[in-house]
Amino acid sequence: MTDRRRINGPPGGTRPPIFASSLESTSDIVAERPQRQRQPNELRKIFLKTGLIPSASGSSYLEFEPSTSLSAARSKPKSVIPPSSSLKLACTVHGPKPLPRSATFSPNLVLTTHVKYAPFAGRRRKGHVRDASERDLGVHLETALRGAIVAERWPKSGLDITITILEAEDDRWWGDAPDSHDAAWGMMNVLAGCITAASAAISDARIDCLDLVAGGVAAVVADETAGRETTSQLMLDTDPADHRSILSACVVAYMPARDEITELWLKGDNSKSSVGTDNRGLGHEALIDGAVDAARGAHSVLAEAVRESAQRFAGLPSGDFT
Amino acid sequence: MMGGPIASLHPLSRADGSASYKCPSTGSNVLGSVNAPVELPGRRDALKPEDATIEVFVKPGTAPSGVGERYVEGILRGALSRIVLGREKGYPRRGVVITLAILGGESIGRGGSYLPLLPALLHTSILALLSASVPLSMSLSATMLAVNPSGEIVRKPSITDARAAASLHVLAFTSKGHLLLSESEGRFNFDTWDKVYENALAVCHGTSTLSSDGDVAMTENMDTQPLEGFVRDTVEDHIRAEYAWKVDAA
Amino acid sequence: MASTAADSTAQAAPTAPPSLILPPSQFARLQPHAYLLAHLSPPASSQQPSLRANGRSPSQFRITSANTGSLTHTNGSAVVRLGDTTAVCGIKAEILHTEDIPSWSVSHSSSSLASNKRRKLTSPAENLGADREDGSEETDDDDDSYIEDFSLLVPNLSLSTGCAPGFIPGAPPSALAQSLSHQILSLLRSTRIVRSKDLQIWYQRPNLGREELEVHNEDEQMDVDVEQDRSGGATPEPREIKAFWVLYIDIMIISLAGNPFDAAWLSVLAALRDTKLPRAWWDVDNEIVVCSDLVSEARKLSLRGLPVASSFGVFEADAAAGWRAVLIPDAEEERKIADSERKGIRRRWILADPDGYEEGLSLERVCLVVDRDQGGSGEVVIVKLEKNGGFAVDRKELKQLVEISAQRWEDINQILGQC
Repeated sequence: MTDRRRINGPPGGTRPPIFASSLESTSDIVAERPQRQRQPNELRKIFLKTGLIPSASGSSYLEFEPSTSLSAARSKPKSVIPPSSSLKLACTVHGPKPLPRSATFSPNLVLTTHVKYAPFAGRRRKGHVRDASERDLGVHLETALRGAIVAERWPKSGLDITITILEAEDDRWWGDAPDSHDAAWGMMNVLAGCITAASAAISDARIDCLDLVAGGVAAVVADETAGRETTSQLMLDTDPADHRSILSACVVAYMPARDEITELWLKGDNSKSSVGTDNRGLGHEALIDGAVDAARGAHSVLAEAVRESAQRFAGLPSGDFT
Repeated sequence: MMGGPIASLHPLSRADGSASYKCPSTGSNVLGSVNAPVELPGRRDALKPEDATIEVFVKPGTAPSGVGERYVEGILRGALSRIVLGREKGYPRRGVVITLAILGGESIGRGGSYLPLLPALLHTSILALLSASVPLSMSLSATMLAVNPSGEIVRKPSITDARAAASLHVLAFTSKGHLLLSESEGRFNFDTWDKVYENALAVCHGTSTLSSDGDVAMTENMDTQPLEGFVRDTVEDHIRAEYAWKVDAA
Repeated sequence: MASTAADSTAQAAPTAPPSLILPPSQFARLQPHAYLLAHLSPPASSQQPSLRANGRSPSQFRITSANTGSLTHTNGSAVVRLGDTTAVCGIKAEILHTEDIPSWSVSHSSSSLASNKRRKLTSPAENLGADREDGSEETDDDDDSYIEDFSLLVPNLSLSTGCAPGFIPGAPPSALAQSLSHQILSLLRSTRIVRSKDLQIWYQRPNLGREELEVHNEDEQMDVDVEQDRSGGATPEPREIKAFWVLYIDIMIISLAGNPFDAAWLSVLAALRDTKLPRAWWDVDNEIVVCSDLVSEARKLSLRGLPVASSFGVFEADAAAGWRAVLIPDAEEERKIADSERKGIRRRWILADPDGYEEGLSLERVCLVVDRDQGGSGEVVIVKLEKNGGFAVDRKELKQLVEISAQRWEDINQILGQC
């Protein structure tokens, strides 16, 4: 199907490259599997900056620190296949602005969220039209933010939040075949990043909020270092490429000042881990607590970014801030 | 020597104004209609309060329209909006809608050059605007010139000439001699463009504006009439035909 | 400070009560034309230079930076910032098998030699194009039409990123995005910057005995070709094109503050320079193209030239100049006025690299794409010239703009050299 509004590729379609090393089922590839170098409760560093897009009312740019394997591959490249990737996204907020003429009356601020992957964001090329997972992310993001914004201050107004993901997280290590308990784990990290970035952009746009909402991810992973029996472990801020198997994962949007969760998304099978071990600390509760801990970590970065934004706002004469 | 272009005014009866234009050298054949002033209900927010909004639609003959048409529509809108007097009475906050259908000539491929069609599109638009009696500050005329790999300037290039050319140039001049538009591609330097400019001005305006370069002017006289005169003649012929009854009666 | 000029004009009306004095930002919004004019033509008494509202001189470009290779999942990527306009370009290469090209088996015999011969006969334009190519490496020029025929370059620009308020995210590409995509494709095509040779994936048939060949090639036509090759005295290399690389060039305008084309094109240029394609070969057993994952075997594209785009906008002192029909002077008078202008009051300014505010105030636009011959040392060559929407830029002005663009080429060449 050709899209008349875009420039189309070859009509017969193209295939992503197949690498020789992925065809040979050998052991030497396993050696290259990235390993988590962080402690289970250690978070990745987050780079968060506001106000990079002056034409928007508020904006932010977020980047996760590249994993050890990725930064090693960057500095001394051997293989053209990247071992993992790190989230990079840009968020803009436009508004509050009058609702279009056709819209019905709303006593509150109408929040619209759009999340779109750049075609080059993932290992596989993404289409230009939003797919189901992107719409899904948009809905999750909207629920996460709606509870935090004081919407009744802007009747008959709209607020557009747009996120462009320039680089996404992998769902698994590239060398692994998709298996039964496999899910879009990378998407959960993306959502956590979206929540944190959007929260920063909303504050940058000076929209009144109850608190800064931060996103955090925790997961129960099957420990592969123990050769005998798979033991499960709770990890914060997991990079799916680091783990052989993720049993369940959870992402929360959390407001620390009020100790409230505005969005909770839990995925995976928890029964396996609780049956396999006597460790009771791996139930849903523990998973949610872990995600909240991760969100607290993100919140400190968020608070710093918002403070910078406020300083920038206050430091300039209000006239120059157009 | 190939003949000049063929044009007719008002071939469509329902449009406010229309024109058809055929360029024999490139084979391009364009039918255009103008509706003005019209209300544009869907775009009340986008309308300018003191000026008319000019909309141009280009429809290719055989293929569905694509990104290339959006691009050439932008070029035409840019050129024509400087000529249409959109602030005259009855025009502000209204639209001037120009629709151009490409009936014949080489179809333009993916990412292909629109230059061979551009003069025909511009001439059709200006004739259709005249036919719809849209107030204009000036008229225009446009021509395409090719520079072949040995550096010679080819007037009235055919599609084959255009493909073989080192560079292609479309220049449009207003009836008062301003350079309104210049679109060039290929590899060339400024001196080449300057020569192309002289030539194009001669093609569009003939001898009168060429005071310094006598040689070019002489050959031009023998060739054909300048394009500016062609636009004028087409309109005059049409008026004469329209008012034949009155002339006869007198 | 740039804003002081506007300040003084805003406060110039002595009769106005203090409550009506507008801060510069509001004056800029309410009277954009007068605001910019006040900056460009400060009162003679104020001793201020003629600067734009953004503090630049008319021919000054914004601070430009380029950063390449930061996106993990791309073959080549670049982030270009042109002042507040940001373009991110990512190039992903995929493989187009010749068996997926419907017209391939019909129009291309499997021997490369024969196909080249055919092309020479059918498309003289390509060959003429090859002749004027400066100097070296003319051998690969004759099959450049592969890129056009099989759509091997797929550039798309997106503005639906929340880059500016007017663009609705999630909506199909606006007319502006579509024409920018077209301009980029058309420039990739006319500059022939990517070589077809770099995108071809060949299969070198092993020089085996006849029996072996029969085993490998069930395809009857191939056998016939091989036989023909053998019978015709000088045996050409038994090579054939099995696939092509297709480059998906996606440009996301993350922030739009005027002049998107220059930023987008520069990001494409920087990303193409960064692009590495892995070594790929035809795997006979699996009948697919297989790539090597070794970085040492991947190679960069060998690009033709470095075309650099510079855009300009024209700001006219008299905002209504275009529509007062009777007052438009003809071209000759225009030149005389332009000459006298040097002494008196200026009527128009040509602004390099207009920002969003200035773009809204200028109807006439000029875009020049220039390159230099012989890898940067030779003469300045114009590869694209677009001038539209007004009468201010004529021959004399264009000559100056070409010079400014040539200077811009030097700057960009330096910026790209550093990343």
